[in-house]
Amino acid sequence: MPVRLRGLTCRRGATLAVDDVSLDVAAGERLAIIGPNGAGKSSLLRTILGLVPSKGLITVGGVEAVSRRGWNERREIVAWVPQRPAVGRFPLLVKELLASSGDMDASVAAAERLGVDHLENRPLHTLSGGQLQRVYLARGLGHVAAGAGLFLADEPTSALDFDTRDSVAALLTEVPVTSIVVTHDAAVADGADRVIEMAAGRIREVRR
Amino acid sequence: MNALLATTDVWALFELPVVQRSALALLIASIGLPIVGVLMIGLDVIPVRFAVMHTALLGVALGLVFGIDPVLCALVVSGLAVMALAPLAGRPGGLSGPMGLLMTLAIAAALLVLSISGVNATGAFELLWGSILATRRIDVILLLVITVAVLTLFFARRRKIGLLLFDRETAICAGVAVGTLTTLCLGLTAVAIASSIRLTGALLVDAVTLLPAVAARNLARSFTSMVAWAVAVGVVGNGLGFLLALWLDQPPGPVLVITVAVIALATYLPIIPGRRPDTKGIVH
Repeated sequence: MPVRLRGLTCRRGATLAVDDVSLDVAAGERLAIIGPNGAGKSSLLRTILGLVPSKGLITVGGVEAVSRRGWNERREIVAWVPQRPAVGRFPLLVKELLASSGDMDASVAAAERLGVDHLENRPLHTLSGGQLQRVYLARGLGHVAAGAGLFLADEPTSALDFDTRDSVAALLTEVPVTSIVVTHDAAVADGADRVIEMAAGRIREVRR
Repeated sequence: MNALLATTDVWALFELPVVQRSALALLIASIGLPIVGVLMIGLDVIPVRFAVMHTALLGVALGLVFGIDPVLCALVVSGLAVMALAPLAGRPGGLSGPMGLLMTLAIAAALLVLSISGVNATGAFELLWGSILATRRIDVILLLVITVAVLTLFFARRRKIGLLLFDRETAICAGVAVGTLTTLCLGLTAVAIASSIRLTGALLVDAVTLLPAVAARNLARSFTSMVAWAVAVGVVGNGLGFLLALWLDQPPGPVLVITVAVIALATYLPIIPGRRPDTKGIVH
């Protein structure tokens, strides 16, 4: 599923987080975004999901979301792994989160591969940061299996130990749909087809 | 202090229609309203009950001025006012600020309406001092309707509500229509609280709503189990409180609150099996 951004601008308070960004990501391409903290990487991903207000054109699969219904439909075709997975202020079981992917079997299979399948009946608030990140990753992969055509992940290895980072980096290269991953992890960036760097809200290509 | 009633005298009281009606109202409320308490905790709108008290007063004032049933007016005004706040739920500051604003505006408007119309304000403020023993047949029917509505919402949208209460952004990304669902939950919460004010009085409404949910939060591992625990604590605590009030020959409102509060307090004890750790999560 191709992604097209044109003149994308996003403000976070008084700060210009994303500054007139134009970008094309081809269907099936794996794109990694690197850059310093505060460069606008997370904001860029969040604009694609409509989680932060933005100006400019964003199409996924050639479709622009222009209404609330349009955004809801967008979120059905975009799998999302957040940077700081919610611990939640409320009890929710791991299996309940995995079920929200739309494909429980695929989520559980991904959880098994990520070594968190045994946590199915645990409330999310009792997990460590690394376990939580892997559960959200399993949910995202389950969403892809359920039909999402775009996979977005914001620093999906930031809370993981070195061994697990490598296996997750390998797993990310197997995602069978278009993927955009924000990362500081060299192994994840190495597995991408293309790497771009963001600084002060703008992008430049580093490697194709 | 009045003398304690003999056990046989307490059971004899249940032959009185007013006590039977009150017990039935309390049982119905204890099933439906603790779920509302769970929604209040999950949506982080615990101060909503204060907003409802104030908007309910405005509704009563309008009802008195226009000759419409004041309680019905209170339900409608509270429901609409709180639902109107739903679009602000996604803002970083949450709903606490807007609720404070709503509270202040509502009470000011109520006083102004009463002053301009020349209606005696005492009638409006009577709502704040409800009593379970003053429950009317219409109150029982209203509670039944609200309880059925709450249970229907829970069973029909359990997974989506669970995600919404866990984390708004996770719910959004899972395709949950959070705006509509938040509006629905807030509206139902407001109407349920406004209707239960007549049972215990506005100041003690927590006995049937919030306190069972607070206890459940300490005991539950999932949204579904939290609802089950809240209903169980609500039914047992309020039932016990009602019997105690009759036995002690004291006003039910405060006895209900103290009984359920003691149960809620007990769930904080570390010896309670399955007690949910009061941590926001472990990050390392």
